[in-house]
Amino acid sequence: MTALTVVAPVAGRAMPMTEVPDPVFSAALVGPGVAIDPSREGRVTAISPVAGKIVKLHPHAYVVQTADGAGVLVHLGIDTVQLAGEGFELVVAEGAEVTAGADVVVWDPAAVEAGGRSPICPVVALDAAAEALSDARDTGDLAAGDPLFAWAR
Amino acid sequence: MSNAEQILAALGGADNIIEIEPCITRLRAEVEDPGLVDEPGLKAAGAHGVIRSGSAIQVVVGPEADTIASDIEDLM
Repeated sequence: MTALTVVAPVAGRAMPMTEVPDPVFSAALVGPGVAIDPSREGRVTAISPVAGKIVKLHPHAYVVQTADGAGVLVHLGIDTVQLAGEGFELVVAEGAEVTAGADVVVWDPAAVEAGGRSPICPVVALDAAAEALSDARDTGDLAAGDPLFAWAR
Repeated sequence: MSNAEQILAALGGADNIIEIEPCITRLRAEVEDPGLVDEPGLKAAGAHGVIRSGSAIQVVVGPEADTIASDIEDLM
């Protein structure tokens, strides 16, 4: 069995998924993972957490699927679908093949927060069993691209 | 029935839906009468979970939410 390393898509403070202020993510209804409370340092670029194909791309969220079918969801802030793309700039197109660390969306966590929403970013191993995740870093400060968790495949 | 048909039926049918929109992992529906929402029916249709807050119903379906929402809109 191999493990897929999922890297932090944004810089910030890692936190357990259970602390995310959204019932779908905190209960891991779409899968387990780790959340990141992003650094407020103006407009920043969210990167791909794994190498693969951008199978879903919204301004506020994206899913990257690896060649063996592991889908990782990055959600930029909570309830940010309501912003309808305002303040989010897409750097790639849906369907693009990307490397881990490739630029995906430019956004401003502080602006999301100023608009009354949480900028916390859940990073979810879609449809994974909780026990498939290991080496999760869910405390402390992370740089974008730092290992976030390992996903046994 | 397709998933979209089942979900539409379990939300109380097209007449009960004021608005439905996909977020990346879920359908967000605004319904006329939350009493008509059939939660076991939604789960039987493949929903991972259902979050209810008054007339706002969130059906957690995973990343196929976009496709399912557009299928539902086609049925309405």
